[in-house]
Amino acid sequence: MLTIALTSAEIISLLIGLFLTLMVFSYLIGDNVLFRIAVYLFIGVASGYAAAVVVQYVLKPKLLDPIPSLLNDPLQLASLMIIVPFVLSLSLFAKLLPRISWMGSFAMALLVGVGAATAVGGAVVGTLIPQVRASAGAFDIQALGGLPKAIPGLVEGTVMLLGTVLTLAYFQFTAKRAADGSAKRNAILEFMAWLGRIFIAITFGVLFAGVYMAALTAMIERLSSMINFIKLVLGL
Amino acid sequence: MRVITAVIAITAGVLVLLGIFFGGVFDVIRLLVTDWTIIIAGMAVLVGVLNLVMVQWGKISTRQKGWGYSVLLVVSLLGAALYGSILGLDNSIMKFTVEAIIIPVEASLLAILAVTLVYASIRLLRRRTDMMSVIFLITLVLFLLAIMPTPLSLDPNVQFIQNSIIGFVGMISRGGARGLLIGVALGTLLTGLRVLFGIDRPYGGK
Repeated sequence: MLTIALTSAEIISLLIGLFLTLMVFSYLIGDNVLFRIAVYLFIGVASGYAAAVVVQYVLKPKLLDPIPSLLNDPLQLASLMIIVPFVLSLSLFAKLLPRISWMGSFAMALLVGVGAATAVGGAVVGTLIPQVRASAGAFDIQALGGLPKAIPGLVEGTVMLLGTVLTLAYFQFTAKRAADGSAKRNAILEFMAWLGRIFIAITFGVLFAGVYMAALTAMIERLSSMINFIKLVLGL
Repeated sequence: MRVITAVIAITAGVLVLLGIFFGGVFDVIRLLVTDWTIIIAGMAVLVGVLNLVMVQWGKISTRQKGWGYSVLLVVSLLGAALYGSILGLDNSIMKFTVEAIIIPVEASLLAILAVTLVYASIRLLRRRTDMMSVIFLITLVLFLLAIMPTPLSLDPNVQFIQNSIIGFVGMISRGGARGLLIGVALGTLLTGLRVLFGIDRPYGGK
C-alpha cells in the first residue's frame, strides 16, 4: 500500500517536473506566460525554502530553543549572551519601515564589521598566503625530485608565474597624465598588461567551457528525465 | 549615531581579526561574536524574504501589470516557508516540493543557459571581432573539443592531442586564474580594511 502511494507521489512529482521543464524551455522561443509562471513559482518556493532553512537550522537552535532557560534563569551568563543577538536581530525588522529604519543600523554595523574582518582574514589566510606559497613552491627543485626531473615542473611554474604577474599587471591602473590630458601607463606596463589580457582571455575561455559543460550536462539530464517519464507512461 | 555604528563595526571587526591571527582568548570572543552575527544574518534573510512579500503585496493591492504572477509568488513563498518552518525540512511534502519544483526548474534554467551561451558567443564574434575575442573563442572551442568525450577519443592519437590541449591550455589558464584570484583577494582585503578603518560605512545610521 505504502509502495503504491510512494510510486504515485513519484509519478506526480515527475509529471510536475516535466511540465515545469517544458515551461522553462519555452523561453527558447521568447519570453512568455508559461516561462514567467514557472520562474515566479520557483522564486516563491525557493525563497520560502530558504526562510525555512534559516528558521530550522539557525534561528530555532541558536535563538528560540535557549529562550526557556533564559526565562528560568535570566541572570545566567549564557542566557545574557542570547539577549544581545535577540535584540539586535529583532531590530532588523525596523529596516522595513523607513521612519525607524535607523534602529536596524546597529545590527547592520555588527554584520558588516564581522563580515569585513572575516573577509580580510579569509583573503589573507585562505587566498593570498596559499597562492603565493604555491607560486613559490613550483620552483622548489628538491621537492620536484632534482634538476633533470624538475625541468618540466620548472617550465610549468615559470609559465604560471608569468601568467599570474601579467594578469595582475593588467589590473594595475596607476597612470601618469599625458600632455593632452589623457591617462597613460608607461610602455613596459602597457605591454605587460597587453600580455596579461591574453592570459585572461585564455582563462575566461576555459572557465566559459566549464560553465558550458555544466549547462550541457543539465540539459542532457532534463531531456533524459523527460524521455524516461514518457517511456514510463507508455510502458516501454 | 553614525559614530556609534562605526564603533560597533570597527570593534567587532578588530576582535574577529585578533581572534583569527592571535587565537587564545580572542578566539573565544571571535566565536561568540561570529555566532551573534550568524543569528543576525539569519534574521536578515527573513527580513529580506518579508520585504519580497511586501513588494509583491504592493503590486497585488494596486493591481499593477503582472499582479497575477505576484499572487503565485506570495502563495508559494508563504506555503513553503510556513510548512518548512513548522513541520521541518525532512517532511515528505517539503521533499516533494524540492523534487517536483526546485530541482527541475533549477536544472532547466541551467540547461537553457547552454543555448544562451552559444548565442552569446556568436554575438561576441559579430559585435567585437578583436584579437582577444578570437583568442577567447579559439580557447573555448579547443578546450571543449579536448574535454568532451567523443567516439574519436578512443583513438590514441586523438587522445594524445586532447591531453596536450588540456595540459597546455590548462597551464596557461591556471596562471591567469591565480592572477585573478590574487587580484580578487587584494580587492577583498582593501574593501575590508576600508570598512574596518571607517572610511566606508555601508551600514548607514542617522
